[in-house]
Amino acid sequence: MAVNATMHVARPGRRDACLDWLQMLSGASLVLFMWCHMILVSSVIISPKVMDAIAWFFEATYMAQLGGPVIGIVFLFHFILAARKIPFTSYEQKTIWEHAKMMMHRDTWLWVVQAVTAMIVLIMGGIHMWVVLNDLPITAMKSAARMQQTGWTIFYLILLPMVELHVSIGFYRILVKWGVISNKTRPLAKRGEYLLLATFLFIGFLTIIRFLTLAIH
Amino acid sequence: MGRKLQFEIFRFNPQDPLSVPRMQTYFLEETDKMTLYIALNRLREEQDPSLIFDFCCRAGICGACAMVINGRPGLACQTQTKDQPAKIILHPLPVFKLIGDLSVDTGVWFREMYNKTESWIHTNKVIDPHQQEERMENEVAEQIYELERCIECGCCIAACGTARMRDDFMGAAALNRIARFMVDPRDERSEDDFFEVIGTDAGIFGCMGLLGCEDVCPKQLPLQNQLGYLRRKMGITAVKQLVPALGKIKLDKLKIGKFIPGGDK
Amino acid sequence: MQTYYSDLLVVGAGLAGERMAIEAAVNGFDVICLSIVPARRSHSSAAQGGMQAALGNSVMGEGDSPDVHFADTVKGSDWGADQECARLFVENAPIEMRQLCAWGVPWNRVQAGKDYYFKGGERFEKEEKKEKEGLITARNFGGTAKWRTCYTSDGTGHAVMCTLDNRAAQLGIRIMDRKEAIALIHDGSVCTGAVVRCLRTGQLEVFRAKATAMATGGFGRIYKATTNAVICDGGGHIIAMDTGVVPLGNPEAIQFHPTGIVPTDILVTEGCRGDGGTLLDVNEERFMQIYEPEKAELASRDVVSRRMTEHMRAGKGVPSPYGEHLWLDIRHLGDKHISTKLREVDDICKHFLAIDPRVQLIPVRPTQHYTMAGLRTNKDGACYGMKGLFAAGEVACWDMHGFNRLGGNSLAETCVAGGIVGKKIVEFLQGYEVSFGTKEAHDAVAKQQDRINALIKRRNGGENVYEVRGILQQAMMDHCFVFRNHEGLSKCIDILQEALGRARKVGLTSDGKGVNHELAAALKLEGQIKLGLCIAKAALERTESRGSHNREDYPERNDRDWLNRTLAVWPEGADMPSLSYEDATKVFELPPGDRGYGGGKIIPADPAKISGKSAVEAGNENGEDAKSGGAKSGSKKKS
Repeated sequence: MAVNATMHVARPGRRDACLDWLQMLSGASLVLFMWCHMILVSSVIISPKVMDAIAWFFEATYMAQLGGPVIGIVFLFHFILAARKIPFTSYEQKTIWEHAKMMMHRDTWLWVVQAVTAMIVLIMGGIHMWVVLNDLPITAMKSAARMQQTGWTIFYLILLPMVELHVSIGFYRILVKWGVISNKTRPLAKRGEYLLLATFLFIGFLTIIRFLTLAIH
Repeated sequence: MGRKLQFEIFRFNPQDPLSVPRMQTYFLEETDKMTLYIALNRLREEQDPSLIFDFCCRAGICGACAMVINGRPGLACQTQTKDQPAKIILHPLPVFKLIGDLSVDTGVWFREMYNKTESWIHTNKVIDPHQQEERMENEVAEQIYELERCIECGCCIAACGTARMRDDFMGAAALNRIARFMVDPRDERSEDDFFEVIGTDAGIFGCMGLLGCEDVCPKQLPLQNQLGYLRRKMGITAVKQLVPALGKIKLDKLKIGKFIPGGDK
Repeated sequence: MQTYYSDLLVVGAGLAGERMAIEAAVNGFDVICLSIVPARRSHSSAAQGGMQAALGNSVMGEGDSPDVHFADTVKGSDWGADQECARLFVENAPIEMRQLCAWGVPWNRVQAGKDYYFKGGERFEKEEKKEKEGLITARNFGGTAKWRTCYTSDGTGHAVMCTLDNRAAQLGIRIMDRKEAIALIHDGSVCTGAVVRCLRTGQLEVFRAKATAMATGGFGRIYKATTNAVICDGGGHIIAMDTGVVPLGNPEAIQFHPTGIVPTDILVTEGCRGDGGTLLDVNEERFMQIYEPEKAELASRDVVSRRMTEHMRAGKGVPSPYGEHLWLDIRHLGDKHISTKLREVDDICKHFLAIDPRVQLIPVRPTQHYTMAGLRTNKDGACYGMKGLFAAGEVACWDMHGFNRLGGNSLAETCVAGGIVGKKIVEFLQGYEVSFGTKEAHDAVAKQQDRINALIKRRNGGENVYEVRGILQQAMMDHCFVFRNHEGLSKCIDILQEALGRARKVGLTSDGKGVNHELAAALKLEGQIKLGLCIAKAALERTESRGSHNREDYPERNDRDWLNRTLAVWPEGADMPSLSYEDATKVFELPPGDRGYGGGKIIPADPAKISGKSAVEAGNENGEDAKSGGAKSGSKKKS
């Protein structure tokens, strides 16, 4: 038997496996949340009243009061878990940047995009949540009023694509990492991912335009 | 015929105190069906005998000549110059230790990998080769071979973002090795045994799904499928250990632990 | 000086090397294996076909036995084989296959039921038996009476290499890669290790061992066109020959394969022709049927190579920047056949020629492929003339291949002979002690360091190593190739003599620092030319045609005068090898006769000489019946 064949006697046990599960589950639930969130806010395109009605429903069932902070916690929790993989040291950042430039490989770039958007979403998403949850209930009018201020307009024009990129890439990569997408279905999945991104960006921008053009009583 | 090829080659000889890492330019007239094997040997024999690079079988079988060719890890011997632009930039593989110029030390890395993964059949059976061999389904033999095809060129490691950032990450080659022994009925290691080896962030849970390995593998091994399969299998193994009652569930019946053989490409 | 000690030093970590190492390690001896490249890159891994062993599990191998295998092997060797070794080999081959199976080789297995196969382009049906299902199966190979070649898809060598290397890792054998032995440490009669150049640092190191085993493969690289890996450069032969006492057996026995691709000389399998592929000339016309009306493209390797060369000499070759060649045409086999049965060929065409064999022709020519020649050992694998020095695999002339080896026999030999010789090394090591003098190591290192310094400082001259090597490689192609004759070989000797003088005046153009490849090439150049001279001289002396050795001026096989083995020794300071001869075999289990293929006239041996060495004793008639029965079926199938 090789001399160093038993070098892994002391093992960290199931810790890494559990953290990986939790990272995936928290990510998946945030993806789900973001889709629901999109349904809520984009309902303003149909009519502010529909949006208000959905918001009232969340309010009346206390889902907003309780769910909001829970999402906030999951949001932070997901960040902490995923941060295990995000390059924070300058050495790591330099390495991965050089690597991405060298490879010119789409999936590698997608991951870089995901890591960068993660940082932006962490800050901007945090601000967004703080502001919204401190001013319940959510109504179309209040949202419109906020978004029509120039600073907030720019804020959401940045946040929207960042979130959508992070979510759609994240969703695709969960499926890849856990082997739901095989090498056979990968080209199809990739197209699906782009379609998802385009659709949500389209609806998202439409929603922003709607908010910007909404007359405030 | 007759493009003038411009080679930009990374030069550094660690054994020469005066040597500094730099790029050096060479020119060579392209000939019909020229490969990087032909081109590099001509450069060494006609222009610069101090050039260091490795070739062995020069037929894409042994994996000795992996290098970064215009940004992508690949085998130099099976790279045709006609598929490349007139300017060809060559670097040694990252991650591995540099021996000189384009030559890196894959041998030590992989030998350590054999020990980490215990890359051999684990069995308590004593087999007498004078007796008839144990039977095996031909299909199983072919599945094992499909994963055994790894030539240890190191391309998947060099193309892996995780491996580049983290020294302790095992990489696709090692994880594929584990998958090879998992399908082999002669290896008596249990799922828990395999979990011991790869159930960490240095193993399967370190994989971030960048798929660089899948896209550069010169032997087109089904790495993406294997990594996905191992993550599910090891993830479920961890859950089973935590909740022993789940241990009775047969993975294959749920179709989530199903082995996906390669050859999809 | 970095010095390593072990019981056994194995030079070369291919199949034969690791197999010997495993045998010694299992028996409790400390082993170090050296390799120029990481072990799994050894050229053993390039063998695609398989290993011959008479398991007889496939329905097409029914009735097979070691006896039938023996007859095939000896006929294939054109009676040049040492029949004792051939017998040892065929008896042990099935056991070794099972041993490899236990260690993890994913051999392809018998699948019960009907299936079809191609022969000469025609389709036939076979039905595998239920009771054999799941046992190691076999495929068809040239020159055999039965389907006998065990395989794993199209990567047998690779799969077995992985398995043995895994086993070596399990046993904790020290496999040290990027180490090149450049001289043996010996006192003229006992070998105690080697001087090694580290291919990471360029430094010299000393390895001392009670026994040293050579397993460095062939030396195809002294030819310009060879299917061999670039590491098959004769390094092992050279350091053994440099002792001045270890002989090279049958240096003139070199195999040429008809279908190496142009350029890069990678092999495309014989299966192309077996399945109905044809050879075309510059006018894209078939020509083999003109020379060989009966067998055409399906004649044996040496015959096809011979005819292709003749045709190119007649001006029908296709000119190219890489020299003349001919075409291999498999277009008519169709897409399905090419992408399944000939997948490897398809890949090679795509990667190395950028052509599609479904619609384009493959450029091919005869290419050096295998060296039956090698360090002559006895049946225990011990080299002649040097105690403590062993050899196995292609580097050795053990000698089961004689003047032509069968496909699938060489890959099997690596493991089978490796196992047998490994056991003999264990026996040798038990109770054997030796004292390692520091002076002999110091002297050996000093001598090598001096050679290196001379090359770097250009003390002996400024000849270019690649230029001189080019002269050698071209001379071997021109005069020691498929066809040989007195005039050409004499000329070759003159050319090589001159080249030898120039090789001694080589100086580096680079600085020689670190792992300098020019230095590595320069260090073995003189030895390579000596190997070339051994071939040329032995071929010149052997005035007959046997197996792959074809003398245009002596076309008949002469059993009367040449049923023997050449032994070439290079005495220190000499400018030519000295040749001597020993009997081809000590015993004749199978007396010399017609191979059943290849044609040609035979000058028979003195019958008294043969019967005097017949191994079959009276009272063993059953055994003899089985043997001659096997022989008969062997020749019948081939006709």
